[in-house]
Amino acid sequence: MFAEESPDWNPDDSSSIDCELCGEEPATMHLLRVVDGKVSHTHLCPRCAESVAEQTEGLALVLALPTVLRKGKNVPETTPYQPGQGRDQRFCAVCGTTASDLKESGLVGCPACYQTFREQLEAMVKRDVEAVEHLGKVPLRGPETDNLRHEMLRLERMLRELVAHERYEEAAGVRDRLAELGQRLQGSEK
Amino acid sequence: MTSATMTASAMLLARNDADRRFPQAEQPELLEELCFAVTGMLRDADWDRPWRVYELDEMSPIDLAYLVESGLMTPRFAEAGGEGRGFAVYGEGLASLEINGEDHLRLVGFRTGDGLEGLWSLLNSLDDRLETTVSYAFDPGWGYLSANPARAGTGLRVYATLHLPALMLTGKLATTGLELVNHGLSMAPLWGGAGGVVQVSNSARQQGPESEVVRLVSEVCSEIVEKERSVRKMLLRENPLQARDQIGRSLGLAQHAWTMTFAEAVNLISAAQVGLEAGLVEAPGLAGRSAFSLMTELQPAHIVIDHMDRKVGCLESNEIDEVRARLMREVFAGACVR
Repeated sequence: MFAEESPDWNPDDSSSIDCELCGEEPATMHLLRVVDGKVSHTHLCPRCAESVAEQTEGLALVLALPTVLRKGKNVPETTPYQPGQGRDQRFCAVCGTTASDLKESGLVGCPACYQTFREQLEAMVKRDVEAVEHLGKVPLRGPETDNLRHEMLRLERMLRELVAHERYEEAAGVRDRLAELGQRLQGSEK
Repeated sequence: MTSATMTASAMLLARNDADRRFPQAEQPELLEELCFAVTGMLRDADWDRPWRVYELDEMSPIDLAYLVESGLMTPRFAEAGGEGRGFAVYGEGLASLEINGEDHLRLVGFRTGDGLEGLWSLLNSLDDRLETTVSYAFDPGWGYLSANPARAGTGLRVYATLHLPALMLTGKLATTGLELVNHGLSMAPLWGGAGGVVQVSNSARQQGPESEVVRLVSEVCSEIVEKERSVRKMLLRENPLQARDQIGRSLGLAQHAWTMTFAEAVNLISAAQVGLEAGLVEAPGLAGRSAFSLMTELQPAHIVIDHMDRKVGCLESNEIDEVRARLMREVFAGACVR
């Protein structure tokens, strides 16, 4: 059996709200308290969340504010092109999802939407993580170029970490391998 | 980690068809087509163990609740309706598959005790087989694609169910929850928090390989379990009289109540289990079985199907509480505090 999902947290239309306790810092934590089976929610800044957690008795559970799940309300208005129109007129040619559909529901309609709305989606999901890149399993039937790109993403991440740790000799090896894969990718895409 | 404190492992693996719109945006007939192709493959292909394909339209709310209580169906899938949905169970309950719920395909794995790595291995192999029929929506940067971009990535959600009554009693669960957030994990109460049973899962869009996510959840849970053990020892050492009193009162209720809600039963079993693990309780009826499996069997739909011959139409009936109390009396007959 699976526990109930934490509720989507849509307090209002603004993209951020203040801590309910100190009223100064932005609320980034979602404190969920369960007492005798009854659930209550409080929205706090990290510092207040920590002090409340220490003082709380009984079953109190602290969950991180699911910012990326706050559907729609915080999809950034990225309208670099079509200046003067005021609204983002983009839509997915495959499924017909529009930029305002995405803003409203937080959901995309089909795999092609990930290309059409790439900037918005990256801005929606990325905010707290360094980069959007997949390091897990890849489909067995994917084209070879997918596997190459995936391997290159993995190596790029490794390269950044090696440079950060000043392990330059190993980094040079990874860089050479990246260059080699880059050429293969170019060759297979021609 | 023993199965007494890490009580259950569960996993969800979401996939979508590259050639269709996501379920909430797709035409019903195209969802039906996908469901037909997948269920056909489940029935016909050569699998290590057989799949049982269910007809969702013919299932009663009690049948659906039974699957949810067994950990084979997610509550959201059971509650939602819509065209083209399908459901199947693999190997008599080793895993299951939800078709056209929030995602086109969602593999579900559940087992009692500590077995996350084994579950991932099973779901991974089932996933590979399903991929021979469905071409997965995948992007090298995003990973496996989903209607909700926040869920794009590995598509993997790992759940560990823990029994933490001592941490709950001493108010230490809140700080534990905060520590989990730092690991990108979250904690939620199972069964409204009754008995200190909680579920830890990966909440953020995890970027590491699946095996690392599984390892992270296992390691963090091991630390929590150790913390629970040391708090239990401290409670028993510093408050031996109160501890015996609480456990003894729980046994008294379990042996003599004639009506009992599910939450109360979970609380009593939880206290008895703490006493058993500390060597304070003798309970012949609990020998050789896990407290968690007993809790599972006392859920409403389990009682209606396993003990009432489906003769109750609603899961809120008082008769279920009566049967639950009888089952508790039988299990705890002869139990005592040493």
